[in-house]
Amino acid sequence: MKTTVIGAFPKISDQPGGQELRQALHKQDRGELPQAELDTTYDRVTAGAIRELEAAGIDVINDGQIRWDDLLAPFASAWTGVHRGPLERFYDNNTYFRQPTIEGPISSDGTTLVGAFTSAKAIASHELKAAVAGPITFATLAIDKHYGSLEERVLAIADAIAAEVRGLGTAGATLVDVEDPGLVYAPQHIELAREAYRRIAAAGVPLAIQAYFFPADRILEAFASFPVAQVGIDVRSRETTALRRIDVFKEKTVVLGIVDARNTRLETASELGKLVDDALRLVPDDRLWLAPTTGLEYLPHDVATKKLTALAEAARGGVPA
Amino acid sequence: MTADNVLLTTAVGSFGKPEYLQKARNANARGKVSPTELRDLERKATAEWIKAQEEIGLDILVDGEMYRGDMVAFFADLLDGYSEGGLVRSYGNRYYHKPVISGVLKRPKPMTVEWFQYAQSLTQKPVKGMLTGPYTMLDWSYNEAYATRRDAALALAEVVRQEAEDLDQAGARYIQIDEPAIHARPEELEIAIEAMGIVTQNLKAKTISHICYGDFAAIYPGILKLPVDQLDLAMANYEYRWLDLMDRDPFTKEMAIGIVDVHTHELESIAEAAEGIRKGLRYVSADRLLPHPDCGLKTRPVDESIAKCRIVVEAAKVVRAELANRAVPA
Repeated sequence: MKTTVIGAFPKISDQPGGQELRQALHKQDRGELPQAELDTTYDRVTAGAIRELEAAGIDVINDGQIRWDDLLAPFASAWTGVHRGPLERFYDNNTYFRQPTIEGPISSDGTTLVGAFTSAKAIASHELKAAVAGPITFATLAIDKHYGSLEERVLAIADAIAAEVRGLGTAGATLVDVEDPGLVYAPQHIELAREAYRRIAAAGVPLAIQAYFFPADRILEAFASFPVAQVGIDVRSRETTALRRIDVFKEKTVVLGIVDARNTRLETASELGKLVDDALRLVPDDRLWLAPTTGLEYLPHDVATKKLTALAEAARGGVPA
Repeated sequence: MTADNVLLTTAVGSFGKPEYLQKARNANARGKVSPTELRDLERKATAEWIKAQEEIGLDILVDGEMYRGDMVAFFADLLDGYSEGGLVRSYGNRYYHKPVISGVLKRPKPMTVEWFQYAQSLTQKPVKGMLTGPYTMLDWSYNEAYATRRDAALALAEVVRQEAEDLDQAGARYIQIDEPAIHARPEELEIAIEAMGIVTQNLKAKTISHICYGDFAAIYPGILKLPVDQLDLAMANYEYRWLDLMDRDPFTKEMAIGIVDVHTHELESIAEAAEGIRKGLRYVSADRLLPHPDCGLKTRPVDESIAKCRIVVEAAKVVRAELANRAVPA
């Protein structure tokens, strides 16, 4: 039973010196900081996030997505045919993103994340996974001025994501999270998503669907036949029947979101222990990973750290390190 | 209906803080400026904004919220039962202290009444009382104290009701209770409506709720049951697409319509903004339509805030003139 994280880690903290990146970005806004120095700051803060995730005992880490302005930003900035448009609320969060605005055919050279992944891999001592935005999320949150239908849009985006996954695979990624809350927000698109994921899976790197914020109840069985190695589901933050039904996954690893990454209340060891025990009745421990319910960036840094500790202890059966 | 009392222009709530105030706030956070000194500067900036709004020609004014940072954290700081949370990101490089509901909520004393009275004393034009609604207070806080979100929303409604009634008694003709998070979880719209009912049940003032940035379609037409007189909606940022919903389910309240985007440095043309008003007039009569910027202008510098408001006023003049010409018998 491994522990992992999903999505972004807090970029700043309330601690002295914890706002280096915020200050650097302000300086850059004022034209007082060259891009090279900002890049160095990004590298330093990323290294800090990796160290923290490892120190907390997380088995499979990511790079904290410190460079990501929002889930869609790296791709909307890099791909041709799309740019970052107006500000919009990101699902049910008091967090906002720039809506990708599609003006022409989307394409990617597949190198958007390669540099950052390669740098992170060089300093990570734990297993490192990569992440991309999911096709349904990207397609349903975008403003489309080019494609005629949702289907065309989703499949074009899936092809661009597949190129990114291929690039990450070449750079050494052995697992890529596909963060796709849109799948559970709009489950009616599940069959279109199946085709999109088939295209992404053709890139040849094992994938993990990370479907957070909303219950996966309506599409749990469909997920079981998706061409992915792992399925991440939130069984903690909202009412859901998913925890009683995860035996639908006969071969896939279940990434169980058990620590609420959107509320500061710390879970007790017994609350987490019960969730893990319930899961282990339906899935063997070699196919069960434990995770926060979504990215920890929705929490202040100090709480995020405590949540990581709670997560790692839950994996050890409630025993502090 | 005359051309004078139609298309009354207003603002949503916040304005950009002048540089001297921003510096003083930062210095206050470091203990270098006393609370009294800071308050004096907040009053100075409030007076400047009242004067600026009068010069621009807005009809219904706001105090500009020079004394507030975040719209939830401001109230959370003043309520018992809240504790300050750490910094979390809102977007880009903007962060706020997301508060934590950590105990039983109580309002020890009025929170905005003195500011309302001060701002109103500076002008003959009406100044709106400005509050954050209970559902948004809940949704933008962490909840560690109440068993359910409904329990927390109703407890917040009680403290917001107390504040709203104090503003009412202080003479506010308009009380705005903002609910920008109301569409965060459409399945909880009934909770938001129940909570707002507690807030507005005894008010004599005209009640308004501002809603922005989210999937308005997901809560329409249910939102028409929100017990307020006027809905204040971001429209320009959405290219007015929410108006299409009103073809099927007619809009039944007064509408304050956002006709300039507040999250871009670019200024709309007066013609563009006027066209936004004309779009609104297809669904709401001119005496019930109030043009304004999409949202609070606190993220814009002072000069941009002024320029955006000026476009609203000029656009309203253009359309009022059209209406007046149409009203003249041949």
